[in-house]
Amino acid sequence: MLIELEAITKIYNQGQANEVQALHDVSLQVAKGNMICLRGASGSGKSTLLGIIGCVFPPTRGRAVIAGKQLARLPDRFLTLHRRETIGFIFQRFNILPALTVLDNITLPLLPLGMSPRQRKQRARVLMEQLAIQHREKFPAGQISGGELQRVAIARALINDPPIILADEPTAHLDSRLSREFMTIMDNLKAAGKTIVLASHDPLVTDHPGLDQILDIRDGSLHVS
Amino acid sequence: MANPLLERQINFLDYTLSSLWRKRYKNLAVVVVFAVVIFLLASFQLVSNGLLERAQTALVMAPEILIQKMTAGRQESIPIAYAERLHDIFGIRQVVPRVWGYYFDEVTLANYTVIGRDQVGGGTDDQLAQVLSEGRLPTAANETVLGQAVFRTKGLQEQRIFSLFRPDLSLKTLTVTGLFKKESNLLTDDLIVLSLADARDLFGLPDGLASDLMVTVANPREISTVAKKISEALPGTRVLTRPQIEKTYHMIFGWRSGFASVCLLAALAAFFIFAWDKASGLAPDEKREIAILKILGWQTADVLVVRFWEGAVISLAAYLLGCTAAYIHVVFFGSTLFLPVLAGWSVIRPDLHLLPAIHLADLLLLFCLTVMPYLTATVVPAWRCASLPSDTALQGG
Ligand SMILES: Nc1ncnc2c1ncn2[C@@H]1O[C@H](COP(=O)(O)OP(=O)(O)OP(=O)(O)O)[C@@H](O)[C@H]1O
Ligand SMILES: [Mg+2]
Repeated sequence: MLIELEAITKIYNQGQANEVQALHDVSLQVAKGNMICLRGASGSGKSTLLGIIGCVFPPTRGRAVIAGKQLARLPDRFLTLHRRETIGFIFQRFNILPALTVLDNITLPLLPLGMSPRQRKQRARVLMEQLAIQHREKFPAGQISGGELQRVAIARALINDPPIILADEPTAHLDSRLSREFMTIMDNLKAAGKTIVLASHDPLVTDHPGLDQILDIRDGSLHVS
Repeated sequence: MANPLLERQINFLDYTLSSLWRKRYKNLAVVVVFAVVIFLLASFQLVSNGLLERAQTALVMAPEILIQKMTAGRQESIPIAYAERLHDIFGIRQVVPRVWGYYFDEVTLANYTVIGRDQVGGGTDDQLAQVLSEGRLPTAANETVLGQAVFRTKGLQEQRIFSLFRPDLSLKTLTVTGLFKKESNLLTDDLIVLSLADARDLFGLPDGLASDLMVTVANPREISTVAKKISEALPGTRVLTRPQIEKTYHMIFGWRSGFASVCLLAALAAFFIFAWDKASGLAPDEKREIAILKILGWQTADVLVVRFWEGAVISLAAYLLGCTAAYIHVVFFGSTLFLPVLAGWSVIRPDLHLLPAIHLADLLLLFCLTVMPYLTATVVPAWRCASLPSDTALQGG
């Protein structure tokens, strides 16, 4: 299993007045090469669960083993190292820096690796071509369309060639044509051997035939459907 | 391929430079404000050091003890014969009579200071001899040594002979035997040094009189004892010692620089408020940028390196700019902004050019007072922000 969660609980701001229990006792396993979807309403805990799978923070309680490493034991520094080696995250708000060019946004994760500008450009160009955004290379990311923006986010998630791809509400800002295109890209990634976890309540995603499993998440608890 | 650790640093520096460039107008404004503060501080330091050094030269040249004759509270000529009354005082090495006064030159409309005195101590340990740039002190009649300004305004070059008017308008012709150094200009720029007899002749002073008597003592530690004995032996005179002159000098200088310091402190305070404002909070888009970089796999240290470079580029640029401008201001523009405050005599000598004294310690102090707080103000808030968990970047809006 590439992703193994066992009795995961996540509490934000523990011990403070604004304490929130976002996940209760969540257990989940995803095999390598599978594509699954977390389905749930707003506030149900989808992003939090993706955050744990994506090694952004460790769970408050429970055992999370992602690509062979147990998160709770890792200090922040190593969590970060592990994250950039194994996870490609397409965020709910894309998290694109609007002032930077498309190319610079895509190559941001490569800077701390000490990769030369020429190597970075080479890698990014391959992805930009696959995603049909090469003509936007030198545009500031703040000046391109929503669909293009999402492709930039996808390219950035893939730049490190990670085994796990996470996408948080990927179609929220897209029309149905672009949403279908997005799912085609995911199908291709799955075919290339990536393990994919999507979080969405959009039927275009949740009813997609390529999914191996759909999990319902309600008030922080998982229900297999 | 190149060393990846080095490549990392180059990447971060590259990232910093392009983000500085994106906000170039704002950053330029910061550099300018910052450079002005450094310019003011550095100019002040250069000028005050220069003046202090001049003051020290002045003190070196001042006699250990000076005797002036006072009548009704005013100074007047002193009989040279007074010196004989000091023979009995133990500890006096030498008493040298001196004539000095001002000569207004109608031709060049300049005021010169004339000093007439015979050579002290056989010439070599004479203080004036130490500030000569060429030639020798006058030894024969009608010989003279000039300051740079006199030499210049009198239009002397190859030809080394010129004339001055006696009070009865007859001409006194003098031959130049030497020049004073540029470094001692503050004291010697407008100086004409003659023998005692020639000075008396120029001013029409009767024989046997001088302006004051300079006393050298055998042991510098006995200056005050000797001075006391002299004033007992010569009632009706004022006896000034070098330590006294030194004190007055420092008081005047200290007061002036104190005043300037207050103004500078105000500038520095403004700068600190500015830095504090920066330190007390990151703008929302800065916070967002840090959260994004972190969630994309940048370590806290990586974010700090970028912020460090940012602060370093801005503050070093401002530091170099400010220091260079200060140097140019002091050397080439005669520190027009500061000299009137620091030195009262600049009005009398508008063409006084200080050779600034650059002290490494002062530059370091300035560095610590400006570059360090700025760097801290850029790095610390980023550090606080970057060490928080980056889950804010996870949420939808
Ligand atoms: N950083 C945080 N601090 C405190 N509470 C948080 C934080 N992030 C999320 N929460 C809370 O945890 C719960 C789950 O949030 P989460 O973002 O995981 O839900 P979601 O399913 O992604 O919702 P949405 O569809 O709106 O994105 C919510 O009640 C939310 O308010
Ligand atoms: Mg969410």
